[in-house]
Amino acid sequence: MTHTTRVSLEPAWILHQHPYRDSSLLLEVFSQEYGRVGLIARGARAARSRWQSQLQILRPLALSWNLRGELGTLTGAEPRGRVVMFPGRQVLCACYLNELLLRLITRLDPHPELFSAYEQAVDALADNEEQALRLFEKRLLQALGYGLLLDHEYDNGQPVEEQGLYEYHLERGPVRREQANPDGLFLQGSSLLSLHRDELQDVRSGREVKQLMRAALGLYLGARPLRTREVLRQLSSLSRNAPADMATLSPNSPAG
Amino acid sequence: MSGSRLIGRLIESLRCLPGVGPKSAQRMAFHLLEYNRDGGRQLAEALSMAMEQVGNCSECRTLSEQTICLLCSNDQRDRSLLCVVETPADVQALEQSTGYRGVYFVLMGHLSPLDGIGPEALGLDLLEARLASAEVKELILATNPTVEGEATAHFVSEIARAQGVRTTRIAHGVPMGGELEYIDGGTLSHAFAGRQEV
Repeated sequence: MTHTTRVSLEPAWILHQHPYRDSSLLLEVFSQEYGRVGLIARGARAARSRWQSQLQILRPLALSWNLRGELGTLTGAEPRGRVVMFPGRQVLCACYLNELLLRLITRLDPHPELFSAYEQAVDALADNEEQALRLFEKRLLQALGYGLLLDHEYDNGQPVEEQGLYEYHLERGPVRREQANPDGLFLQGSSLLSLHRDELQDVRSGREVKQLMRAALGLYLGARPLRTREVLRQLSSLSRNAPADMATLSPNSPAG
Repeated sequence: MSGSRLIGRLIESLRCLPGVGPKSAQRMAFHLLEYNRDGGRQLAEALSMAMEQVGNCSECRTLSEQTICLLCSNDQRDRSLLCVVETPADVQALEQSTGYRGVYFVLMGHLSPLDGIGPEALGLDLLEARLASAEVKELILATNPTVEGEATAHFVSEIARAQGVRTTRIAHGVPMGGELEYIDGGTLSHAFAGRQEV
């Protein structure tokens, strides 16, 4: 026996949407209390849809739905807070966050703490994009149960020191080393500690932590590459001779 | 169901059209067979010719059976104005209701990173080359006012700025005959921010 769950005005964000049948949309939603939910928005693509302007990515929404089985039916959508238009670059970074959630979180698995991390990350994209992305990645790994050990060595429990050099063994943690070799994943103690304290101010720790996160997420993402990464790569190669905003996308795109 | 494999196949094929379910497909099939065989033959011929011959215009990327579409090859059009739109249907909409005399560039979509649609799929390299030729004096952005459409417009405007081309964006605002009370907040805030001297 499946019973119908009725959800009313739940804080949520749309991660992605696909056209469904003639005039409907299939929404992938990330909600505060219910985690990821797949919802059908009937008639949302019709010319007179009342939802037409609401149902978009990167808009804080309050959604209502009925759920029976795996896919729900959207019954209401209201804006939650003022509409903020993101500049193009932040849209791509936010799409990267959305893709991570779609790839790593299963439907109907509640993650309220990750929901607030997502809202913080979207807010923080405008100030410090790299930091916002890395901290969200850290919280995502924690929420999945794969949180990174950052302040102790995994074998002997010694605290990580600012000045030390560490080799990071994925799924275990850091080990102190005298010198780096090209095969391993090496970080300064200061980089590990700044990620531990949620502050990634300097360029070096930003770069080292990005490599660490890329390797750590890679374990769970599997062989299929992230599409947002490919699009960022194309944009940066297109803009190789362009100044200003786009050129900063290369050579290291922010999305890892 | 109908006792004929050909009719069954025709009904099944008609269902690939948007808005056509099994019942309407059946009605269409029987209508053509019973009352309008000539119309059906014409449809079949037009369909097969269009499917074989229509490609993309090498200049604006819109759908056309010519290498360069009629709009792009029309010497009455002002080639210093270039309007960027998402779909061929947008070109039709603008042609029917505005007095625009410039030419178009059709992206055939918008940036959609999660679907893997990036600058290559949108032909932004072609647009960049077009702008570099210095023929275009003004680029008019007419992508849809959605999050992805705005992001697309942002990157297109970056390309134009790099080439030193003046870029404008079509206005967003209150629809004609609309009432402020019933307009969504996003449109209203855009309309308010973009107010003009009268």
